Amino acid sequence: MSVSFKSQVLTILLASSTLFVASTLPNYTAADETCMSPYMAKITGQEDFVYVWTLGVEGLGDGQDKLVTVDVNPKSSTYGKVVHTLSVGGRNEAHHSGFTDDRKFLWAGGLDTNKIFIFDVSTDPAKPSLTKVITDFTAVSGGVVGPHTTYALPGRMMITGLSNNKDHGGRTALVEYNNDGSYIGTYWLPTEQALAGAVKTGQYADGYGYDLRALPRRNAMFTSSFTGWSNYMMDFGKMLNDPEAMKRFGNTVVAWDLHARQPKKVFDVPGAPLEIRCAWQPKHDWCVTTTALTSKIWLIREDAEKGWQAVEVADVGDPSKIPLPVDISITADDSGLWVNTFMDGKTRYFDLSDPMKPKQTYETQIGKQVNMVSQSWDGKRLYYTSSLLANWDKKGDDNEQFFKAYEWDGKELVQKFVIDFTAEKLGRAHQMRFGARSLYAKDQVIDPTHFVQLKAP
Amino acid sequence: MRCFLRFLKAKRYLLLVTLLLGMSLPSHSTELAVGYGELQYIPPAVGSYQLPVLGQAAEGQVLDEQGQAQSLQSILQGKYSLLSFVYSHCSDVNGCPLAAHVFYKIKGLMQEQPELAQKLQLISLSFDPERDTPDIMRLYGANFKYAGQQGTWRFLTTHSLAELSPILQAYQQEVQREVSLNGQSTDYAHMLRVFLIDPELRIRQIYSVGFLHPDLILNDLKTLWIPVAQQVPVQPAVSESSNMVKPKQNLDLLALAQQPPLGLPPLMQETLKGLTTDKILLGQKLFFDRRLSLNNTFSCAMCHIPEQGFTNNAMATAVGVEGRTVRRNAPSLFNVAYSKRLFHDGRDTQLAEQIWSPLLAVNEMANPSVGTVLNKLRSLADYQGRFEAIYASKPTMSNLGDALAAYQQTLLSANSAFDRWYFAKQEQALSMEAQQGFRLFTGKAHCVTCHQIAEKSALFTDDQLHNTGIGYRESLGLRSAKQRVEIAKGVFVEVDRSIIDQVSEKLPQDLGLYEITQNPADRWKYKTPSLRNIALTAPYMHNGSMSSLAEVVAFYNQGGIANPNLSTVIKPLQLSAEEQGYLVAFLQSLTGSNIADLVADAATAPIGDQTQQDPNWANQLSQPLQGEAR
Repeated sequence: MSVSFKSQVLTILLASSTLFVASTLPNYTAADETCMSPYMAKITGQEDFVYVWTLGVEGLGDGQDKLVTVDVNPKSSTYGKVVHTLSVGGRNEAHHSGFTDDRKFLWAGGLDTNKIFIFDVSTDPAKPSLTKVITDFTAVSGGVVGPHTTYALPGRMMITGLSNNKDHGGRTALVEYNNDGSYIGTYWLPTEQALAGAVKTGQYADGYGYDLRALPRRNAMFTSSFTGWSNYMMDFGKMLNDPEAMKRFGNTVVAWDLHARQPKKVFDVPGAPLEIRCAWQPKHDWCVTTTALTSKIWLIREDAEKGWQAVEVADVGDPSKIPLPVDISITADDSGLWVNTFMDGKTRYFDLSDPMKPKQTYETQIGKQVNMVSQSWDGKRLYYTSSLLANWDKKGDDNEQFFKAYEWDGKELVQKFVIDFTAEKLGRAHQMRFGARSLYAKDQVIDPTHFVQLKAP
Repeated sequence: MRCFLRFLKAKRYLLLVTLLLGMSLPSHSTELAVGYGELQYIPPAVGSYQLPVLGQAAEGQVLDEQGQAQSLQSILQGKYSLLSFVYSHCSDVNGCPLAAHVFYKIKGLMQEQPELAQKLQLISLSFDPERDTPDIMRLYGANFKYAGQQGTWRFLTTHSLAELSPILQAYQQEVQREVSLNGQSTDYAHMLRVFLIDPELRIRQIYSVGFLHPDLILNDLKTLWIPVAQQVPVQPAVSESSNMVKPKQNLDLLALAQQPPLGLPPLMQETLKGLTTDKILLGQKLFFDRRLSLNNTFSCAMCHIPEQGFTNNAMATAVGVEGRTVRRNAPSLFNVAYSKRLFHDGRDTQLAEQIWSPLLAVNEMANPSVGTVLNKLRSLADYQGRFEAIYASKPTMSNLGDALAAYQQTLLSANSAFDRWYFAKQEQALSMEAQQGFRLFTGKAHCVTCHQIAEKSALFTDDQLHNTGIGYRESLGLRSAKQRVEIAKGVFVEVDRSIIDQVSEKLPQDLGLYEITQNPADRWKYKTPSLRNIALTAPYMHNGSMSSLAEVVAFYNQGGIANPNLSTVIKPLQLSAEEQGYLVAFLQSLTGSNIADLVADAATAPIGDQTQQDPNWANQLSQPLQGEAR
C-alpha cells in the first residue's frame, strides 16, 4: 500500500493530481476515501484495515460497543478476518467516526451517551488502543447531544450534533475541539428565532443537524439535518406510527462561512437530508446530499449570480415506498455516486457526469438491509455494513448484521468475503474507516513501479 | 486584467524561488495552491468573527541564524508570529515554497504597513536539522531579502533530530522521510501547517494549503488586533427550545405553593409543612440531572419538559434509556401536587415514592438498584453537603424522593381565563365561544362528570379510572393494511404495513388498571387527567394517540369505542361541529397565567450532565485501553 502526506492538504489542489492519477487507470471510478476531509492524508493504494465502529447488542457477546478491525489486504494471511476488537463500555449508539487531520487518531462518537472515543490508530494500525474518552461533550458545549460527524480541520475536529439536553429534539449545534480533545467552541444551527445572520431562502430554518463537509477553496461549509434524540433512538416502527414524531425531521441544508464559522444561507431540502459529499474537481463547486424520507438527490451548487443554491435533481428508487437512502459515496473524479437504500438493502450507482441530471446505471441487493458504503481511493474495492441505528434496524430474520467486501470492475460488484457480525458475536456493524501501516511508518518507501502516488489532499 | 497581472507577478516570483531553490516548476497536472493567486472569494470582514484559542505554543530549543541556542517561546513571546515548519531543499510547490511565498508577500506588505512590521514576525523553522544548519538557513533566508528590510523574518533550525522531535510532536507536525528502494533518503513528506500565535503564546489559527493566503492572514491579524470593546458581537449561542417564551428568571416557588393561583385549592397542610426553599431547589436540581440514569442521559425533565407543558409534545408514548419503548404518554406535571393517584394506571399515591418507579424501570432511567442511585449522588461533587444541610443525612431513598416531590409540588398553574371568569367573576375574561363551551362541558356533553369543578376551585378530574375504549382498541383492534406517514411537511405517503412491520418491535401489552388489581373488569381503565393547561400537553390520551383537542372532542362525541368494559358515563353526545368547536375553545381557556414564569424558572436550573470531574472509569483512563487480538 502506499500513501502520501505530501503537502497534504489541500483539497482542490490535490484534486487535480488525483484526477491525473485516476485518469491513468483503466476502468476505474474512484472512491470513498473521498468521504474524508480534504485536509487529510489519503490512502491511495491497497488499504490494510477497515475499522468498523460497531454497536453492542444486549445479550450478544459482551454487549458493548466496540471498534472492530478487519484485515482487508488480500496479501495478508488474515485477509477477510476480524483481527482485533476493542470494547469501549456500554451501548453508546456508536455511529460515525473520523480521523484527525494527521490521521493518527480516530474519533468515534456515541449518539446516545454523547461520549467521544479517541483511538490511537498510528502506534499499531492493526491494534488500535483507546487513549481518551471525552465524557463531558454535552456539558462543555452548552447542551449539545448526539456527536455525529467528526470532521478534520487543520489541528481541529468539527463535530456535528443531532440534538440537545433540554428536550432531546432536533435543535443542535456544531462543536469544535482541537486535536488534543480540548473544547474550542459551539456554533448553533440557525433557526427562525435565531438566524445568526443567515438568510432563510425558503420555508424552513429548523436548526437541525447531521452531516458536515467543507469546500475550502470556496470558503464554504455545509450541514444537513436529520432529527433529534427522541426519534433516532426510538423504535423505527413506533416512530412511523407516531404522527407527532414524524413532524420532527430536518428540512434544511445550511451553507456556512467556513473561516468565520457563521451560517450564511438556509436552504429548504425537505425530508431529512443526511450525508453530504462535495466534489473534488477544481472547477466543480458543488456538493450532493440525499434525503432519507423523501428519497431525493439534491445538488448544492454555486451559481455565478445567485451564489449557493439547493436543487432537487433525481429520485432514488420509488419514494412512495420509502426506500430510505442512507449512506452515499462520490467518486474521486466526481463522475458517479453510490447510494445505499436501507429498506430494500440495495446499493445503486448513479452517473453524475451531469450533476444536474444524475442517472441510475446499476443496482444490486447487498442484504436484507444495508447502510454504509466505503470505497478504496482507486474505486476498485467497496465495503458495506448493515446497521443504521440500533432501534431502526430491521427485526427478526431481516436483521442481518454484516461486513461485506466487494470488487467493482465498472460493471458489476463481485463479493469477495462476508463477516457475519452476529455469528461473530460482535454486534451491529456501522461506519467504516480505512487504515494502512505505511501511513505511520517513519520512512516511506517510494516505489516507482507502484501506481499510487497521490500528493496532497 | 488586474487578476491576470497578479497571476503573472506570482508566476514571476515563483520562477525566482524555483531558480533559487533548484526545484522544478509545477507540472501541468499540479494546481497551484490558493496562496499563489488572488483569493477567489470575499473573506469574512475584519472583526466579524472570532479566533478562539486553539492551544498553547509549545517550548523547544532552537538555533538562530548565528547558531545561538534560544528558547522558542522566548522568540515567540511578545509578538504575533507566523510559524512555519519547512526544509530548505523542499521541492513540492504546494509545500514549503508555498509557505515561503506567502511569507514573502507578507514581508512585502510590511514595507508599506509599519503596524504589521512592528507587531508581526515571520518564523521559518526547519525540520531537517541534519542538512539545514544555521549557515544553510541563513543562506536560505537570504533568498528572500528582496522583500524589503522592514519587519522580521527568522530562519531557525535545531541542533539535532532529538531536539527537534518534541517540537514537532507538540505542534503535531507530521513528517515522513521518503526513501528509495535502496534505502536512500530522497525527500520528506509532511503536512503543511502554518501557525498564527499571539504574543501570549496562544495558537489562534492553523493554516493549511487550502487557505494559506496573505489576505486571510491579514484579516485574522487585524481581527485579533481590534480591542475587545470594539469587536462586533458574535451571535450568541442560543440553546433554548424554540418555544422558550421568557429569559431565565427565578420564581418564588415556595410562595406559589403557599398561595396557589386562582382556581386551585390550598395544598394540604401536610404537604406545605414539609416544603422549604432549599428542598425545592435541591429537588429542582435533581429533576434536571441527567446523571440520575444508568448512562447519564436521562433526567425527569427529558420526558417532562418545561417548555412542552412538563410533558413531551414530540411523541405519543415516551422512550427511555437507549430509546427503549415506554408504553404510555408522559403525563404533565402541572398541579400534580393534588393528584391522589399517580401514573395512568393509578398505581402509586405518593410523589415521594412514585419517583422510584422511573428511576429503576429498565425502559426509563434504568438504574440497576436504589443503592446505585444513592451512591452516585453521594460521590458527585456538586451534591456534597446538599442533602446533609437539609435532611441532616446523606442521600437516602426517602429524602431523595422528598426533594424531588418538593419541586414537583410547586408546579402550580391556574388563574386561567376560565378561572378569572368563573371564580373571579370577570365577565370579559372568557370569550363567548369558550363560555358556550363551558355550558356544553357542564351540560349536554357531560364532561364535568369526570373532569370535575368544585365550588371554589377546579381540578378537572375525579381521580378515578375509566375505560374509554382507547386501550381496548390498542390491544385488540385491527390495523389498516397501510399507514399514512408524513415524510415532509404536508407530504404524505401510504406505506404498506408489511414494510413498517419489518422495523417494528413487538408492541408491549397494556391492560391499564387490571395490571394492578388483576380484576378483569378493570381492563383498559386509565386515570382521568386534569384538563388544566390541556392546550399545552398534546398529544392526548394515555397512549398519545390523538394529536389535537378537536380529535379528542370528536372521540367523545362518538361515544368512545365500544367494548365490554366501556365506562357507563361515555355515550354518544350528538354535538354539532360548531358545538365541538366551542368545547375546544373552552379547553383552550384553561391555560394558566404563570406558565412562562414556571418555564423561565425551570431554565435557571443547571442541567446535570457528566463532567470530567465525575467518578467514571472513562475519566480516569491513565493508560491506553488495549483491545483483544482475534
